[in-house]
Amino acid sequence: MKRVLPGFGLSLGITLVYLGLLVLLPLSGLVFKSSALSFAQWWDIATGERALASLRVTFGASLLAATINAVFGLIVAWVLVRYSFPGKRLVDSLVDLPFALPTAVAGITLATLYAGNGWVGRYLEPLGIKVAFTPLGIVVALTFIGLPFVVRTLQPVIEDIEPEVEEAAATLGASRAQTFFRVLLPGIFPALLTGFTLAFSRAVGEYGSVIFIAGNMPLVSEITPLLIISKLEQYDIVGATALALLMLIISFLLLLGVNALQWWAAHRHHRLNGGAL
Amino acid sequence: MSIEISGVTKRFGSFTALDNIHLDIPTGELVALLGPSGCGKTTLLRIIAGMESADAGHVKFAGEEATHLHARERKVGFVFQHYALFRHMTVFENVAFGLRVKPRAERPSETEIRRRVSELLKLVQLDWLAERYPSQLSGGQRQRIALARALAVEPKVLLLDEPFGALDTKVRKELRRWLRRLHDEMHISSVFVTHDQEEALEVADRVVVMNHGKIEQIGSPDEVYSNPASPFVYQFLGNVNVFHSRVHGDWAEIGREEAQTRDAGNVVAFVRPHDIEIENAPVAGGLESLVQEVHTIGPLVRVELAHGPELVEVELTRERAATLTLGKGQRVWLRPRQVKVFEASAWDLEDGGSGI
Repeated sequence: MKRVLPGFGLSLGITLVYLGLLVLLPLSGLVFKSSALSFAQWWDIATGERALASLRVTFGASLLAATINAVFGLIVAWVLVRYSFPGKRLVDSLVDLPFALPTAVAGITLATLYAGNGWVGRYLEPLGIKVAFTPLGIVVALTFIGLPFVVRTLQPVIEDIEPEVEEAAATLGASRAQTFFRVLLPGIFPALLTGFTLAFSRAVGEYGSVIFIAGNMPLVSEITPLLIISKLEQYDIVGATALALLMLIISFLLLLGVNALQWWAAHRHHRLNGGAL
Repeated sequence: MSIEISGVTKRFGSFTALDNIHLDIPTGELVALLGPSGCGKTTLLRIIAGMESADAGHVKFAGEEATHLHARERKVGFVFQHYALFRHMTVFENVAFGLRVKPRAERPSETEIRRRVSELLKLVQLDWLAERYPSQLSGGQRQRIALARALAVEPKVLLLDEPFGALDTKVRKELRRWLRRLHDEMHISSVFVTHDQEEALEVADRVVVMNHGKIEQIGSPDEVYSNPASPFVYQFLGNVNVFHSRVHGDWAEIGREEAQTRDAGNVVAFVRPHDIEIENAPVAGGLESLVQEVHTIGPLVRVELAHGPELVEVELTRERAATLTLGKGQRVWLRPRQVKVFEASAWDLEDGGSGI
């Protein structure tokens, strides 16, 4: 059959080769390397006390940071789209800063700020809140690097909502909260999930900024990427790939879950037969 | 419910959108706010709805102060030009929205909501689309759903902002007749904004003509059309030929009775294209002209004529045009059936000059 849009074969070919070289090849190398282990050996490494603790810290902190970003990123994006104020462009470009800043610089800066004698830390310490060199510090660092993902994903979607829709809701008697939860959020939700997923994925893979602020205490504030590095430094390459594979599997499953949720959010109205929202 | 607007003024920066507007809309009337874009008609409608706040003046509903009421407390139905339907909700849920967001104590039961919504959907003749999404509907259908949604909360006042502006001509004509019927059945006061004079004249009980943030004239469609209060109204309500007595000495003869009462050297005469008769032979006071173009537009024949350097437009019926057998370059004489004379000073030079 002749296609109206030309170039499908060529562009699909490029896409597959590109993704194969960039994504699949390194990943299959990883799987190949870790296949030197039997499943029992791999399972031993994966369920080791230190490995499990690091996974808890990595995924727990990442989820928490992505959730915080989902809430506040939504507010930031909303303000940047809907209101005009002096310095708006500056604020808008500030959002991208975590993208551009070397992660190590971010980590060192955050650690300095939140340390017991830092600008922020000195006020938190007397309240009994320790941020730097604790798991909380990891959350702070991951929140920092994840913010732009949520904001940049949401902005175009919010721009797409006509202000009239809110006015219509108001004339129909809806309160601000009702307008937000019944009219605005359902439209934004799929994009919010995408932003959340991106921020989360970025956080799981983050290394540079975390190691400076985390304190890196085994079993407490050690993230899996760091554990992998330390295994490499001990020339335990197979052990490192085993952990890496584990992270890969967990990440893959989580992303699959979020995608399913996204699909559900986009299609749930087809299952509702005019019932309550 | 009646609406009283007194002394409403609204500025956007240095631009005055509304300048001391006074307007009373009695219960049950269908009123059109008519004017060119930027005349303030939409701003006035939004102030009535509570979406915009006036810098000065008052809005009262049925005699009760409503100036500072929030839009959601005014109990008005509002229909937007671009529908503003909730995209992620079905047609049914869109219409049900106003009922579902009511405080628990006032909220009707689920069965009652179902009954009311299907009743409204029947009213707008779209009950078969209840489970569709707005994106699956045509423009005309969307606007009818938007109307049903606005009526669901049983408003006492219905406000429509260029409701048919985004629709094609045929659908627009259908919908405006239908709106008229609906208005009469619902016993509410309605205000709609339009820049289409035909729409205003056909549908409304009363027409409010606005320009530059001011009301030019309020009256029945017949009144504003046949007895316009200002050159602007005359010109806005239809095509027009403008004649200056200084230039058109002969012509002043014909508008004599009216022109005599004024300073004869300083008046302008307005004549609608269909109020001009074309004669093949000279007539007393007739304006001698040359035929330039003849266009047949459906049932009408539009003739462009030159009187010296001035262009005059005349509309004839097909029959009349056939008896005249007009051709390009033909010499004819023009005779007005109806002339409206204004002081030249009322005719802003920037707005007009002569011609159409």
